[in-house]
Amino acid sequence: MKYESQGIAKLYFIAAIALFVGQILFGVTMGLQYVMGDFLFPEIPFNVARMVHTNLLIVWLLFGFMGSAYFLVPEEAERELYSPMLAKVMFWVFLTAGVLTILGYLLVPYARLAEITMNDLLPTMGREFLEQPTITKIGIVIVALAFIFNIGMTILSGRKTVINVVLLTGLVGLAVFFLFSFYNPDNLVLDKYFWWFVVHLWVEGVWELIMASLLAYVLIKVTGVDREVIEKWLYIIIAMALISGLVGTGHHFFWIGTPDYWQWLGSIFSALEPIPFFMMTLFAFNVVNKRRRDHPNKAAVLWALGTAVMAFLGAGVWGFLHTLAPVNFYTHGTQITAAHGHMAFYGAYVMVVLTMISYSMPLMRGQKAANVNAQKHEIRSFWIMTISMVFITLLLTGAGIMQVYLQRYAADPLPFMVVQDRLAHFYWAREVAGITFLYGLFLYIYSFFAKGEEVADVE
Amino acid sequence: MKTDELQLKRAEISTLLSLLNLTALPVIGFVALLFIYKKTEANTIDRYYVMLGITTNLIAAIALVLVTGLMILLGGFDSPWTWVYVISYFVFVHAMFILFATWTMVRSWTGKKLTKSFLSK
Repeated sequence: MKYESQGIAKLYFIAAIALFVGQILFGVTMGLQYVMGDFLFPEIPFNVARMVHTNLLIVWLLFGFMGSAYFLVPEEAERELYSPMLAKVMFWVFLTAGVLTILGYLLVPYARLAEITMNDLLPTMGREFLEQPTITKIGIVIVALAFIFNIGMTILSGRKTVINVVLLTGLVGLAVFFLFSFYNPDNLVLDKYFWWFVVHLWVEGVWELIMASLLAYVLIKVTGVDREVIEKWLYIIIAMALISGLVGTGHHFFWIGTPDYWQWLGSIFSALEPIPFFMMTLFAFNVVNKRRRDHPNKAAVLWALGTAVMAFLGAGVWGFLHTLAPVNFYTHGTQITAAHGHMAFYGAYVMVVLTMISYSMPLMRGQKAANVNAQKHEIRSFWIMTISMVFITLLLTGAGIMQVYLQRYAADPLPFMVVQDRLAHFYWAREVAGITFLYGLFLYIYSFFAKGEEVADVE
Repeated sequence: MKTDELQLKRAEISTLLSLLNLTALPVIGFVALLFIYKKTEANTIDRYYVMLGITTNLIAAIALVLVTGLMILLGGFDSPWTWVYVISYFVFVHAMFILFATWTMVRSWTGKKLTKSFLSK
């Protein structure tokens, strides 16, 4: 670790992993509720478990992105962080706000939470993924502004590289697009537009910039390939991500009361969306293949390659699977969407944060790489979590296809809940895969504490 | 162009065609691979990659077209289970072939053959 202030990332990463565990615990709980409807009812109803599962995902990924930025930016900018104190203060503000919000979801009925937090003054609650009370949303904006100020000042007064400028662009975009969550029009269709301006333009827009820059940074470090080569790839990837992703928002506008032209725009542009993910795979394969050194942190190299591959599969292939309007006419909002969502989030964003953690944690602990035994456990956890996620995706895909057939395609379509009953075996198998994923996550955490022989530096 | 350079170029084009045959240009990519094969000589890098492309795509054709065809034939066109297996299988296996073809393309850019270990140089 070249700069002392990079160490702040450790705080963020620890919180991220702790919240990740929470997210998966609620995921497993909810998975069981799919087949045992009254499991933990009324203490944790399904809708609350789902809200906690998705909100924890967003919050821990934000912690992960922030931690990654705090580690990456000083090194790229070749100077200490502008204000380490601000980063620490914002960490505690964000963590407190996040934990209080989750506790609010769990302990207070949602309508009461809206009353307590004075949602009526500026109503923003009640929309999927953006359920946070208005006051929490304001907190997120404050934290994001302080974070961007801190990172921005560090970059502006230091060395500007393609990586840190792309990262900053992504982070600014993340903050700007979140502002749409404060606009809550009465017209439901209009509301959906603005809702997707947050959700889609995050995950299929600016987050891709963040992901690509983090991946590029780690690949430079672990392969020793020239920065110029990696930067050229980065330019092309982000250009393709924005070209396809911005108008690609249209694939969310099918069948919700929007004009028909969105079916064309959404289909054509979102059919291009796998391209940046494919290019990331090509980029990662190419860079690793041309590497000049065998980095002692093999786990980080594996996470980096895994990110590219799984993002391509989850976001690219599984996104394309149901993105064309004639297909989406049948698949809209079915378990096929859930299959895509699970693998895309895991492949693109969970894995890139874990890549950064894998690379940076040993450095922050004064090592070049984790010891041999720790890496062995980490690599094993990589495979367990990744294979589990492949199974979760395949099982949800199977459930989705069956759902489409029985509920929307068959000559005598069955009602939603009847179909859900018919999908129980898929959900049981998915639950097993989810518990295996949880085991992989615990193994991953254990790897940080595993003692063993130090790795040889073979650079 | 020197012989070595020409062979490397052909190797790169072969792997690209292999990938295209699996994605945007099915059949056309394969026919082009056969044309390149005729220009190559035994024990050269371009022959290695063109053969790899042909083999990969033949296996892919069996795995994707034949196996899914059999699934439909045996499972029945009107059974939802047929489509559960066919779509899940086709999407996943197809993606695996694309990833393999991508990796071979990247290897051909360095002029080296595939190795047993994914991460070995």
